[in-house]
Amino acid sequence: MNKTEFTEGRHPVDTLLHTDSIPSEWCSGCGIGMVVNTFVQAVKKMDIDAENIHLVSSGISCTGKVDQYLNLKSHKLTNNNAIAYAADLAAKNPDIKVVLFLNDTDFIASNIDDFITAGKKRARIVVIYINNYIYRIFMEYKSLSQTPFLKSPSKDKIVSPFNIPHLAKSSGADYVARWTQLHIRRLMFSIEDALSTEGFSVIEVVAPCLMYYMNTENAGETIDRLGNYKETSIIKHREPTENLDLRNQREIIVGRFVWRDAD
Amino acid sequence: MSVEIHIINERCKGCKICVEVCQADVLDIDEKPNTSGYNPPCVKTLEDCTICGLCEMLCPDFAIRVSCIEGENKQ
Repeated sequence: MNKTEFTEGRHPVDTLLHTDSIPSEWCSGCGIGMVVNTFVQAVKKMDIDAENIHLVSSGISCTGKVDQYLNLKSHKLTNNNAIAYAADLAAKNPDIKVVLFLNDTDFIASNIDDFITAGKKRARIVVIYINNYIYRIFMEYKSLSQTPFLKSPSKDKIVSPFNIPHLAKSSGADYVARWTQLHIRRLMFSIEDALSTEGFSVIEVVAPCLMYYMNTENAGETIDRLGNYKETSIIKHREPTENLDLRNQREIIVGRFVWRDAD
Repeated sequence: MSVEIHIINERCKGCKICVEVCQADVLDIDEKPNTSGYNPPCVKTLEDCTICGLCEMLCPDFAIRVSCIEGENKQ
């Protein structure tokens, strides 16, 4: 093993990070940090040229801050344009990999038409969708993929969360997977598969917002959540995507649902 | 084969994920806080480490790493 890896105060993946900005602004124990760590580990493990990975993010929401911490080429856009821009970028540059970290605010609510179009065109982008059940940072705005974790059934009109894997599959995605914060190593393999897939890849990561779901029954703090996921999540590869709704008091089905390269 | 667990105290935000996920109970909370006021983890029983690498992968702030040197013996 390389001697330089043991320098005190350094991490092996520091070359891919803006080390001045770390620790990050996210809450202590936030799932976004875990997903970013997993992504970086996957990139390091795959041994692909980091110059060829482009991050596209929109200016709002917590996931929009990912490019502040990663030493990769990044494109920061206004709210509604992330997926459309990424699809064009990937179409014009066949050598690069385009990765998007998105959540409700900049994906489901405002970008869904671009998402479907990108799926139809088989744009070569990787969408890592961190599902934190939060729309526009405030609970008052009800999200389309609203929480299954609330104690009492919501009295609002929108009650069932949006089924992202089903939408992705029906849009024509080449790779669809869903994991939680706990399945971090499987998520890493998924990111590797998605990066090596020539096509539209969507990975959903269930990581409820710490700030708003800390006091709910099934969520709690990160540590309790990781324990809960062991009991509530069930791995079913190739499950038909219409069964994948996230509902309260029901298990979270995780796994790899679509992979056209392997089928 | 020897194991080394390096903790970068200044990056820690005190979420205690690494301590909780460790199945071998290697890590513990350090009593001495870092400059941000969080209590970082510390290594309690290094010889129990199974090198599963979960603490390294789950850390949101890249503050812990596990290195394994093969072919070398520390003694």
